[in-house]
Amino acid sequence: MFIISFFRAIKFSIQDIFRNFWLSLVTVVILVLALFLINVLLSVQIITKSAINSIKEKIDINLYVKSDATENQIIALKTEISNLDKVKNATYISKAEALESFKDSHRNNPEILQALRELNKNPLNATIVIKPKNIEQYEELTNELDQINNDIIESKNFDNPKTMLAKINTITGKINEVGLAVSLIFVLVTILVVYNSIRVTIYTHQREIKVMRLVGATNWFIRAPFLISSVFYTLIGLSITMAIFYPFLTILQPYLEAFFAGYNFNILSYFNKNFLLIFGAEFVVAVAINMIASLIAVRKYTKI
Amino acid sequence: MIQFINASKVYPPDVKALDKINLHILPGEFVSVVGQSGTGKTTLIKSLICEEKIDEGQIIVGGWDITNIKKSEIPTLRRQIGVIFQDFKLLPKKTLQENVAFALQVCGQPPKKINAIVPQVLKIVGLENKINRYPHEVSGGEQQRAAIARALVHRPKILLADEPTGNLDSINADEIIELLLKINKFGTTVVLVTHNREIVNRLKKRVITIETGKVVSDQAVGKYIL
Repeated sequence: MFIISFFRAIKFSIQDIFRNFWLSLVTVVILVLALFLINVLLSVQIITKSAINSIKEKIDINLYVKSDATENQIIALKTEISNLDKVKNATYISKAEALESFKDSHRNNPEILQALRELNKNPLNATIVIKPKNIEQYEELTNELDQINNDIIESKNFDNPKTMLAKINTITGKINEVGLAVSLIFVLVTILVVYNSIRVTIYTHQREIKVMRLVGATNWFIRAPFLISSVFYTLIGLSITMAIFYPFLTILQPYLEAFFAGYNFNILSYFNKNFLLIFGAEFVVAVAINMIASLIAVRKYTKI
Repeated sequence: MIQFINASKVYPPDVKALDKINLHILPGEFVSVVGQSGTGKTTLIKSLICEEKIDEGQIIVGGWDITNIKKSEIPTLRRQIGVIFQDFKLLPKKTLQENVAFALQVCGQPPKKINAIVPQVLKIVGLENKINRYPHEVSGGEQQRAAIARALVHRPKILLADEPTGNLDSINADEIIELLLKINKFGTTVVLVTHNREIVNRLKKRVITIETGKVVSDQAVGKYIL
């Protein structure tokens, strides 16, 4: 009997969706708009975080090594630095590599290249490029590096990024605060809009619910089709959202690629990688909101 | 079959819809309940299907004391009593056949049984050619017939009819009353609440007259006396 009733509830739900086509359409459209905007907001958050990370990635510390230092001394220094807790990695760039890199980055500047040729020797120093493990510990790391007393170190540059880092941290903090506030307001508005739309849908069924009660339908027999409909609405709404959102991301990606030049960031692959987490969570939350709204609204009309 | 024992119902602030009503309707009877608007006729019907709860007294239906019925038992009670109303109360988004079938679906009857019974009942009420029409596609009389079919599909022992002819012209009204008489002949107890003097006088059946919530007359073969 339970199985018969369950399948009947599914049948009634599908019948109801199609026979109240316009009402169903409006409910789905509201869901699609809400889900689409939530995903846009999510994308903005992801892009902002990636932008900040890409800047942070570019922050490193350069130790310039004296030109008379031997290869062994440099390798020993590099190992010493690599062993520090706060260091992610240390890369040794030899004089020759530094020169190659310099030439490459100035290949379009013939005057500089000409000057280099006229010098007739490699003016660049070997360098150890240090990437911090955690950008927040930048200052502690520079203190530790300061304590390394090695004759082969010619100079260190770690003054410049400090102000930039402070600015980034301020911006990150503000973006997080504003982002959280906007997200919360937005999610709340979405919940209210969806909740209201479901209630309106059920309000129009008020008469029907009363008739169902009169012919002896139990409350669950009345509620079940509405609950199943909310699952269908969410499924349809989410599918349409994905069908719109993915092309939207495809259009957006080339612009982001240009913005994040030299940094490996792909919003499409981010959404693909986290597909289940993002859309699964959206599905669960949307179904939950729809179901709660349906239950409250139906309960109002099933009171005996 | 139906017993009201000192049943009272007051709507706030102090409207007495039922005032210590005592009634006993026997199985297979055809009873007309008459009275002016607002005298408590509909409250009488509503209390029988537990849409309203009485404040005092006792109601017994088919030996079942429903005075303090549990909420969970109300659907079971309603499946045993057929009810028809002045405004038909059909589901607008279901066809006539689906409306009648719905009454069986709510109690979990298998599709085979439903498919066998529903066309039969629709034939009894003369709607065999309109089973796939929606309520708004048929006349008022036909809608009321569909409502009767829905009320009968459970084979109830009691059929309550609350002003069933109120929205119908005299020809359709007569046809509905004929149908109710036919149902009564098969052994179903029929309680007809009506304003229609002509119909009551023609029936020559038991007439209970209610005034301000009280039974003022109960005649075995009665007339509309107000």
